[in-house]
Amino acid sequence: MNGAQHILQAFQRHSITTVFGYPGGCIMPLYDALVDDVSVEHVLCRHEQGCALAADGYARASGNLGVCIATSGPGATNLITGVANAFQDSVPLLVITGQVPSELIGTDAFQETDVLGMTLGIVKHSYLVDDADSLPGILVEAIALAQSGRPGPVWIDIPKDILLTQVNPEAADHDKRESCESAEPRTDSAIYSAAIDKGINETLRLLREARQPLLYSGGGITLAGAEDSFREFAEHSALPGVVTLKGIGNPGRHNPNHLGMLGMHGCRAANRAVDECDLLLVIGARLDDRATGKPETFAPNAKIIHIDADSAEFNKIKAAAVTINANLNDVLSALTRGLQAQPLSIETWQKQCRTWLTTGGFQAADNEEALAPITGPAFVRQLSRIASDDTIISCDVGQHQMWVAQHYQFNHPRQHLTSGGLGTMGFGLPAAIGAQFAKPGTAVINVAGDGSFMMNAQELATIRRYRLPLKIIILDNQCLGMVRQQQELFYNNRESHINLDDNPDFVAMARAFGIPALHINRTDQIRRGIETILAYKGPMLLHVAVAREENVWPTVRPGGSNRDMIESTKPAKNKTEENAA
Amino acid sequence: MSKAIPSNTTVSSKTVSNRHVLYCRMQSEPAGLERLCRVVRVRGFRIAGMSVECSGEHFDIALTLEGSRPIFMLQSQLLKLHTVGEVVLGERQMRSVAF
Repeated sequence: MNGAQHILQAFQRHSITTVFGYPGGCIMPLYDALVDDVSVEHVLCRHEQGCALAADGYARASGNLGVCIATSGPGATNLITGVANAFQDSVPLLVITGQVPSELIGTDAFQETDVLGMTLGIVKHSYLVDDADSLPGILVEAIALAQSGRPGPVWIDIPKDILLTQVNPEAADHDKRESCESAEPRTDSAIYSAAIDKGINETLRLLREARQPLLYSGGGITLAGAEDSFREFAEHSALPGVVTLKGIGNPGRHNPNHLGMLGMHGCRAANRAVDECDLLLVIGARLDDRATGKPETFAPNAKIIHIDADSAEFNKIKAAAVTINANLNDVLSALTRGLQAQPLSIETWQKQCRTWLTTGGFQAADNEEALAPITGPAFVRQLSRIASDDTIISCDVGQHQMWVAQHYQFNHPRQHLTSGGLGTMGFGLPAAIGAQFAKPGTAVINVAGDGSFMMNAQELATIRRYRLPLKIIILDNQCLGMVRQQQELFYNNRESHINLDDNPDFVAMARAFGIPALHINRTDQIRRGIETILAYKGPMLLHVAVAREENVWPTVRPGGSNRDMIESTKPAKNKTEENAA
Repeated sequence: MSKAIPSNTTVSSKTVSNRHVLYCRMQSEPAGLERLCRVVRVRGFRIAGMSVECSGEHFDIALTLEGSRPIFMLQSQLLKLHTVGEVVLGERQMRSVAF
């Protein structure tokens, strides 16, 4: 068995059944081995970035490891954006690239790049394999590392000659296996257990002392598989709660104390509650700048308790009174048990937060005028009402992404695929492909902007090839809307290179790939348009013309305080006209 | 760590630059030192001095660093590197670390 065949055997042993890849010179031995392999479904995307983002979407939707494969040189460099995207959002990914033969490394050979060097900042760990007999141990370690603790991408760069060399299965590096096992968080030791118990007791004490405690959760809940224990705690404690972009869906659709997303495009109720709380219980979140705004004015009156699987996140932005580095499931269950004997008395605070939610939640009135132009928020609210409870929405990046985050009611965080950390335009379509492979029986919708859609539009061919039933919705405002919005608000409305009014005919484009498509541009067409694409058995694209001047509200000036939210008082178009006058 | 900084203090880098000495032990592997130095740079520190000794399968590294951010933030980031076994501040001796 050669190195390439051993990789496929490792896939089988680790129940890896779907991989996303693109062949080329130095990875050809692996593709040759795939000819005789029936255990792995290889999905051929049309660009390596599509492979990496599809693997990312697969992992996000399923909770399993995503795998992508490419050749050396440009194949590897094309993966980089997708791998950086996974790194920023802690998505477990195994990346395998071919490298030029060992003897040619360092000779500027054809399609040679220093993949190990150029990817150091976007991986959890990486390997350049220099000995075929080390490959089995590296594969075991890499697969475990990618999924353990705080997940992330692990990259294995393999010279072509190693792929062709016979591997001695008995030579599997046992040291690496042991090292891998020891890489797990050491939460079972007596010292760690005592620290966790102390942290939990201190958290319970501070919760009981607080008059205005607030629950703040992020993407770490899903990464830990702690959705159920989180909901149990949220419901039992009845704490008012806010979520980050990646925490959307944590509390489900029906938690009456949930205030919504906080931060730059968060709702006024959520940001107000953070501003007024006296205790902030942060679970599975890293207090990133889009959520906190200016850190000096973030939660100014609160003691902070920070619970996370990654201790490096503690005290990075704001110092915490209590930190707990542990499995979130265990901590949340312990907190729930701790509150059972003595529930919190925070009725006045709960009532206040609900009042804020009534007046400062995400509100987008449905347009009553049938012939009126479609707005993003109105469309997303309709989509949320019509789509089934388990529908997966895969967003791109920009205004539409924020409208989805604000106005779609998610039942579970794994239904909301969004590029939170890196903000990768072009994420949505390939991620939806990955999600559809992970969840073949579930409705998957890519909600895109016209700018983002064009960044990985080649993957329409992948959808067609595999006859994936996913739906694509393009909210087309014929510009880079989020950039235009910031130019309008913060750069004296000086528009610079955001115009996309020469977009292709998206309906004709989809049809050219063999995907049927519809176009709508009036409010009274929204329901029919959504129902039509959802009822169609195969892939379908809905092109939605939306108003160019529509902004995402509320918003906060970059680097500004979340207290200083800007809200529209009149249509942006009128404001533009006033400025022009 | 949490006791060193008052609760809810904003952790800012706009303070006076300090000098620190960090001792690290890491597994010897391709790009190992690059990994370490990259984290030092990205997390806001400058290497003023560095010595490396390779003993068997690991490196013992002494770093003299300058930077204005809290040094514990760099320590915790370095410890996240899979091949780093131990990071200690100042003159303390490193204990033996098994990889």
